[in-house]
Order: sequence, then structure tokens, then C-alpha cells
Amino acid sequence: MKWGSILVGTLLSITAFGQEDDLFALMDIPETTQITYASFKGTKIINAQSNETPGEGVLQYIISHRFGSFSNDYFYNFLGLDNAQIRMQLDYGITDRLNAGIGRSSYLKVADGFVKYRLLRQKSGAESFPFSLTLYSSAFYRGARYTDGIDHYMSDRLSYHNQAIFARKFGDKLSLLAAPSAVHWNLVPGNSDPNTTFHLQMGGRYKLTNRLALTGEICPGSNLEYSDGSRFFTPFAVGVDLETGGHVFQFHLSNTNAMSDPLWMAQNPYNPWDGSLFLGFNISRVFTVKD
Amino acid sequence: MKKVLLLAFFALAQQGIAQQYLTREATLSFDAGSPLEDIYAVSESASAVYDAASGKLGVQVLMTSFQFKRALMQEHFNENYVESEKFPKAQFTGTYEGGQAVGQLTIHGQTKDIAVPCELLEADGALLLQAEFPVTIEDFGVSIPGAVSDKIAKEAKVTVRATLKKR
Repeated sequence: MKWGSILVGTLLSITAFGQEDDLFALMDIPETTQITYASFKGTKIINAQSNETPGEGVLQYIISHRFGSFSNDYFYNFLGLDNAQIRMQLDYGITDRLNAGIGRSSYLKVADGFVKYRLLRQKSGAESFPFSLTLYSSAFYRGARYTDGIDHYMSDRLSYHNQAIFARKFGDKLSLLAAPSAVHWNLVPGNSDPNTTFHLQMGGRYKLTNRLALTGEICPGSNLEYSDGSRFFTPFAVGVDLETGGHVFQFHLSNTNAMSDPLWMAQNPYNPWDGSLFLGFNISRVFTVKD
Repeated sequence: MKKVLLLAFFALAQQGIAQQYLTREATLSFDAGSPLEDIYAVSESASAVYDAASGKLGVQVLMTSFQFKRALMQEHFNENYVESEKFPKAQFTGTYEGGQAVGQLTIHGQTKDIAVPCELLEADGALLLQAEFPVTIEDFGVSIPGAVSDKIAKEAKVTVRATLKKR
């Protein structure tokens, strides 16, 4: 009898405990599929595109400056401000995946237009997917007059850049990106010079706090010289991202001065080893024009 | 011995038929807006559970299930404020007694005791749960930078509406 009640008592208390746990376990929400957000703060890392696009109905304005290099009469040029290059960009999120925009860069008066599309998105949870893939395609028009005395066709002024941007966010701090890219110039100096060159943009960011991150990128390419004696150097940049509400501030140091893709990727004449390094910034501001 | 077994059987059986109610489609919204900025989000996939015998009540929501009007605001909410990757869920566990929900509220990995007014009405064999209460954002360790502190309310108004069905 005694043993019986003890046994029953134990049983009851076990079921009672069990029930309490079970009750709140009942409400546990099963793992759902979650699209990975904010692999990068901005739609660009520094010069390179990130996998991000603004959301649907978002108008983005980016203003960028690259100041004069340390090797070029730095103090005479007021810390490089006197020979700063500027780029402005205006783009719009047509859908959450599709983004299109226009830009204008001061170096060689280049105007450009681009389309960016998120083909695949990294996902976690029930149906996870390991990386995101964004396609980016852009065309550039050189507005600067030619000084070679030749009557150039309009097509001579055009160049193109296409890339596939693979990105992955590792945890909440680290994101890495690799983008095989092709740059095409309609006009190159000599017959033996390649019109199309291939490049691999690699970049990453590491979040220090929720609003501050370190960024870096490098972009080796397939061609480092032209027959006319021009020599090119692998572009790279390091920087910090600072986010406040609708703004992203990006401050950085790079060995590039031009901001239109074909120029900084395929024809970058600046050798970092002789001090050709440039301070610069990108500031983006977004406006939600359609809720 | 026989009597004890019989008693035990009844006790167990009673537990078996004790009424439990559940939903996975509860609506949970919050308003943390200010005159400067409209900050409102709603989740329609919160879950709620209630045990009529013990009065135990639980509500849970996935932070990433909150839908904002602006994608960027939603991203910032998850990424910069509630840190959804680290703290994916918010939940209440406690009891319902005399028009009040009393228990623990966990948001952003931090737990606070709360007692808030709560309505629980029976209708057609289902239970209607309604609650509206303020949550002081600072209490749960969600940091708001000075630059935007004017735009975000100090207290978010949380609203829960759910129809719990017998399980």
C-alpha cells in the first residue's frame, strides 16, 4: 500500500512536471525559412557592388568623393581636396529584387546606367540556401573630349561591365563576397590589347558594433598593361561603414581615383607602393517613395 | 491498493481531458512610433497556448515575422535593434488570473516580470485572447542611439489578439 502510493505519487508528479513543460513547448514556433538580410550595409562595399539592393519603392542617392593622392603635392592640394573626383548616383528599387539607376563620374566625364537583380537569396531555417547571387550589368559613356585628333565614333566612347556577385553572410558579423566580372571597352589603344578583361572582385565586411563595420575589397584582373606603355595596378580598398537611420557613411582608403567601373577595375594606373593612395567617402541616403 | 490505483487512474484521466487551447495564428503588433516617424509592425504568426485547468498562459513570436511597411526599417529592427539572429523569439510565460496575465516577458534575451490586463473570453468552444500593454524598450536592453532617440517611442504599445482552439 505504502509503496503503491509512493509510486503513484511519483508518477503523478512526473506527469504534472511533464505537462508544465509540454504546455509551453506546444507554443514553440517551428523553424521557418528566413531570407538572410543585411549581408552588407550598403549596395556597394566601397567601389565594388555588394549583393544588396534597396527594397521595393526605395529611391537611393549616393554621393562619393575620392580626394587627391598622398603622393601628389598633398598639402599644396589642401589634403587632396583640390583635386577631388566626384560621383553621383541615383537608383530605385523597382521590386525587392530588381534595382536600376544612373550615375555620373567627374573623371573623364563618364555617365552610366545599371541594372542589378538578386537572382538567388541566402536563406536559413527550414529550407536553407547557402549563398546569395546578384547579377549586375552596367554601361558607361565617356563624355570627355578626345585629344588624339581622331574623329571618334560614338561607340568608341562606350564601355561595359557585367558581373555575377556571390555573397554569403557567416553569422551576424562576417560577410564575404566574390564576383567574377567582365569589363569590355569598345576602344583600346592597340590591336594587341584585349577589349575584354576578366576580373575577380573579392570583398568582405566585419561588424564591430550594430552600426559600425570594417570593410575591404580587392580586384585582381587579367590584364595589367597596354601596348602604348600604360601599366595598371590591382585595385584595393579598406574602409569603415557607419550607419545612422537612412544614411550609410563609408570612409575608405584605396589606390583608385576613378569611380566608373571599367576605369577603376581595368585601367587603374595608381601604384600604392609609391604613395598613390586616396582617401574617399560614399554617402548614401534612401527615401521611401512608395510604401 | 486497488483504491489508490483507481484514484491514480482518475487523476491521470482528468489530466488527460484537461482543456488546453492553442493557436499559431495569433496577431501581435507593436507601435513604437513618434510624431516624427511611423513605426508599426505586425506579426500574424505568433502562437498562444492556454491550459484551463492550471490557468497557464503562453505567447510566443518570432522577431523576424514582424512585418513593417518599410523594408529598411524591418532590416534595421532585426539587425540593429532586437538582434534577431542572437535572440530570435520573444515570449510570455505565466498564468491568467482574474483579468490579468502575470508572468515573465522575454524580449532581446532579457526577462522581466510583468502583470498586464488581459481578456480571455470563451466563444463557441474557442477562447478569445486580447491584451494591450506598454513595453519600455530600455528595460529589455535594446539600445537606441542618440541620433534617432527622438524618433522612437520610449514605450512600445503591444497588442495581442488571438483565437485559441481546443486541442
